[in-house]
Amino acid sequence: MKITYNWLKEMVDINVSPEELAEKLTGAGMEVEDIVYQNKHLHHVVVGKIIKIEKHPEADRLVVCKVDIGQGQVTQIITAATNVFEGAVVPVSLEGADLVNGIKISKTKMRGVESFGMFCSGEELGIDENYFEGAGVNGILILPNDLKSGTPVEDALMLNDVVFDVNITPNRADCMSVIGIAREVCALLGKDLKKLNLSYDIDVYSKDVIRNFVNVEINTPNCFRYMAGAITNLNIQRSPLWMRARLNAVGIKPINNMVDITNYVLIEIGQPLHAFDKDNIGGGQINVRQAKEGEKILALDHSEYDLNEDIMVIADDSRPMVIAGVIGGMDSCITDKTTTCVLESAVFDLKSVRITSRNIGVRTDSSARYEKGVNVANAEMGIARALHLVCKLKCGKVVRGVIDICNKKNDVRDIVCSVKLINDILGIEVPTTEMVRILNSLGIETKALGDKLNCKVPPYREDIENDYDLAEEIIRLYGYNHYDSIEYKLFDKASVTEGQNHPRLSLEREFRKSLIEQGFYENISYSLVPGDINKKLMLDEDENKLVKIANPLSEDISCMRTSLAHSLLENINYNISVGNKELRIFECGRTYKAKTIPLNELPIEKNVLAIAVCENGFDFFNMKGVVEKLLAFTSVQYSLERSKKSFLHPGVSADVVVDGQVVCSFGKIHPVVAKNYDNPENIIYAEIDTEYLAELPVKVRNVKAISKFPIVERDLAVIVNEDVTVEQMLSSIKSSCGKLYFSVALFDIYRSQSLGDDKKSLAFKIKLSDMEKTLTDEEVNAVMKKVLKALTFKHGAVLR
Amino acid sequence: MLIEELDKLKIETLKEIEYVQYDSRKDLAEIKVKIFGKNGALTVLSKGMKDVDPQERPRVGALINDVRKSIEEKFSDKENEFKARELNEKLENEKVDITEPSKGQKKGAIHPISDVIDKMIDICVKMGFSVVEGPEVESDYYNFEAMNIPKNHPSRDMQDTFFINENILLRSQTSAVQAREMEMRKPPFKIICPGKTYRNDSDSTHSPIFHQLEGLVIDENVSMADLKSMLTILMKRLFGEDTSIRFRPSFFPFTEPSIEVDVSCPTCHGKGCGLCKGTGMLELLGAGIVNPKVLEMAGIDSKKYRGFAFGFGLDRTAMILNSIGNIKYLYKNDIRFLEQMK
Repeated sequence: MKITYNWLKEMVDINVSPEELAEKLTGAGMEVEDIVYQNKHLHHVVVGKIIKIEKHPEADRLVVCKVDIGQGQVTQIITAATNVFEGAVVPVSLEGADLVNGIKISKTKMRGVESFGMFCSGEELGIDENYFEGAGVNGILILPNDLKSGTPVEDALMLNDVVFDVNITPNRADCMSVIGIAREVCALLGKDLKKLNLSYDIDVYSKDVIRNFVNVEINTPNCFRYMAGAITNLNIQRSPLWMRARLNAVGIKPINNMVDITNYVLIEIGQPLHAFDKDNIGGGQINVRQAKEGEKILALDHSEYDLNEDIMVIADDSRPMVIAGVIGGMDSCITDKTTTCVLESAVFDLKSVRITSRNIGVRTDSSARYEKGVNVANAEMGIARALHLVCKLKCGKVVRGVIDICNKKNDVRDIVCSVKLINDILGIEVPTTEMVRILNSLGIETKALGDKLNCKVPPYREDIENDYDLAEEIIRLYGYNHYDSIEYKLFDKASVTEGQNHPRLSLEREFRKSLIEQGFYENISYSLVPGDINKKLMLDEDENKLVKIANPLSEDISCMRTSLAHSLLENINYNISVGNKELRIFECGRTYKAKTIPLNELPIEKNVLAIAVCENGFDFFNMKGVVEKLLAFTSVQYSLERSKKSFLHPGVSADVVVDGQVVCSFGKIHPVVAKNYDNPENIIYAEIDTEYLAELPVKVRNVKAISKFPIVERDLAVIVNEDVTVEQMLSSIKSSCGKLYFSVALFDIYRSQSLGDDKKSLAFKIKLSDMEKTLTDEEVNAVMKKVLKALTFKHGAVLR
Repeated sequence: MLIEELDKLKIETLKEIEYVQYDSRKDLAEIKVKIFGKNGALTVLSKGMKDVDPQERPRVGALINDVRKSIEEKFSDKENEFKARELNEKLENEKVDITEPSKGQKKGAIHPISDVIDKMIDICVKMGFSVVEGPEVESDYYNFEAMNIPKNHPSRDMQDTFFINENILLRSQTSAVQAREMEMRKPPFKIICPGKTYRNDSDSTHSPIFHQLEGLVIDENVSMADLKSMLTILMKRLFGEDTSIRFRPSFFPFTEPSIEVDVSCPTCHGKGCGLCKGTGMLELLGAGIVNPKVLEMAGIDSKKYRGFAFGFGLDRTAMILNSIGNIKYLYKNDIRFLEQMK
């Protein structure tokens, strides 16, 4: 919100610079985000009077002017402007001026004749026709004749204020005005707020009273207070420069005296006002009500809005005239021809205005204030201040009486709080006298009585309800710098608690470390994905119901991901596109699946670890090794089955299964899916259910005794059909070895044409041992015979 | 006669051995044969013993032994010398270029955000905090209402939220776990919750998805001073011992009083630099005393218990810790970026 230094000075005797003031306000929680000096580009620009104009001897389009720039000085300026004349008073930028459009003025020679400056247009001074008459013409701004030569233009045009842009937090609706900030300034500087002039003269010669002009009815619970006054003999014209200057400084376009007064009060007091043309209020009846379905209004922004019952309106006897608190209607607004106006000063429920504003998609200075909450007391001050300004600006005659319907109590509230509690909350000792001083300076009348503070909270501080709120008021003015030097006293009065990491995060950390050792880079991707994720991964839509965002930023990030495969495949694609090769990546993240569509409860969020590799020579079995290493961190006992994951190659993928539950799937990406992501085919992927694994009991190891007697090693190579799996062979060998079994491992697989197309040779290293004795050749041979027999019988194996 | 010959043989042989050069070290073997061989000089001279006067024999025998021993020692010394040199030469020849690249699988790297989360977890767990998580697709109630942000309240404007429908949204703050934990746990407790958060906002400094870490302490007697001490320790562990923090007033509906916490810039240590825009301080988190209304809504007796809460922006913290210039880098997963996290 923008306010100005001079405006504040009208309410408080400020004895500090704008910068100091800004720093103090920021320190108290009113963050001043920007300070702008209006005269920044007006230094060395003065009022000048053209005494004489002569033709330039060398250029037809130029003229040479003699200009009186005050204090007896006459300078020479060459111009191409055609609207200048002898006797014209104009803004003159002299050497050193740095204009808003970037032009820097210095002495020059134009075709042999010296020029010591430049005449300025309105645009070159940063103003327009609304602000100053003539500022909009295409040429030099011709100033009023009565301005004294040499006067700085910033003073002549009242462009000498300092504008603060203050960030007001949502709890401080009372500070959405000059007077609100002024109250804070008073507390900060230890000053009193000057009384605002709210007096106005009533048209004593007229017998009219307000009831003769308008009648008001409130037929909605969303209007807390409605006040109306009337002004006759309206004289609509430009408002005086000082008022235009204020509005211009805070970024509001001056329009005419009556509209400017309503805007002035809006900024000064934070009270939105609305002026109706009395002749356009049907039946002289103002009806504050909810709109009816089917009603329409043509608003001041020239748009027509369809209304409904959620929208509050100010209506006359037949139709809505204003969308309450948001925007006025064309039909009832004041114009140059208006002679009598009704002035509204109302307070509406903030929620209602907010809903309305969202509903029609319009935000105005008025709705911005109502949405944050306007205090009921404000309406009264607002209308009085407006009527005062009407008299001051002589823009009409004020009718006797003001209608006031108020449906909300608004009293000073008594709060009793404890000095000890406040200090316990703050953890530092603030002297009671300081507490009392601070609260009083904020307009909260406070008396200390032992440990108690009796506080009278003014109506406009609706945010203050309890000790905690008062503690905040005290500390923000006492100063947070009191914490800068305190000693550590970490939980010195609090309980000891045992800290624990989240079990899954602990496991992920182990996994992460292992993967990083194996050359993997951790990724973190957007969990928001495009709507075609299931299609691209060939996932079943019913088992992967999408969680869709109702208000997405773009289609690319409009749904929650149903699989991490999407993220990693996208990341691989991106990396390849920028020339990165040999990709080993992983991500710990969530998938999100709706239980029903549309969502009527929270979706299922599941944490998984996904791994992907795109690297020459890295195949299914490499990934199997990676997976085995990770699973070894846990106590999981599992078996492998062929995977049914839609996005994996059906022949080159496996599921790790525990009690019928798949806790991990890995394998080559399905070629169709690889193509969908515009990726090469040789991507190996794995995903692990880290939630399941983190829940498993801790790993308990069961170490077997090692025999004192030597272990006997025998190799065995057999030829079997391709469809016989290594797993089947290993299991048969193990069971045939009986109690002499120590270990068995496959050490070679051989395929060749001589073996036959569907044959392979498998070579195993079998180790046998006996706890009691050294094995004899006969015993070993007997076992090996049994093994071979079993392999032949069960799997059709032939000794090689 | 024999004695003289023996003396002569000793002197000459020792000299001869001494003169053998490393390059012609094979000569040593020949000399050995020449002296100790079947027809070697010493062997031949030894045979002369039989012609020696028996009285002289012990003296001559001793001399022969002495000569033999001297020569053998000399051989052994010389051989050792050559062996040592041979070994040195072998080692010299085996020298490698130590600047050749290392072999084996190169290390990967952690993501900067995980790195910050891990560090914060370690620091906070030691201070008695437990790590919890909450849903990212969250109810309006936990994200807003239970945090003292009623529907249609102006505080809602502080965050642009992604909605699924009227009652379900993507959490806009990890604060959403606060009420869930308060409802579930019995005070006293200390928790932190790291995780993804979402806002309908995307520009050069904002990502629609980002990470926060929420902290919450509920106990009978905690204060702003505890908050200050706790955050000071956390920041010192994270950014270094010479880090300091500063409180500024602020507003959050769920804390009262509310503060912003500035951290002394770890790059310039408060002197002012590009990172902190010359201020010497970085705005890193919001915090405050838990609003008693929030406690009451979650069923905690606000007369008995009090708490404080804090919320970090982890993306910004990660960017500061690693001098990362652009927030978009964090989610591109470009290996050229991640490599630098090694």
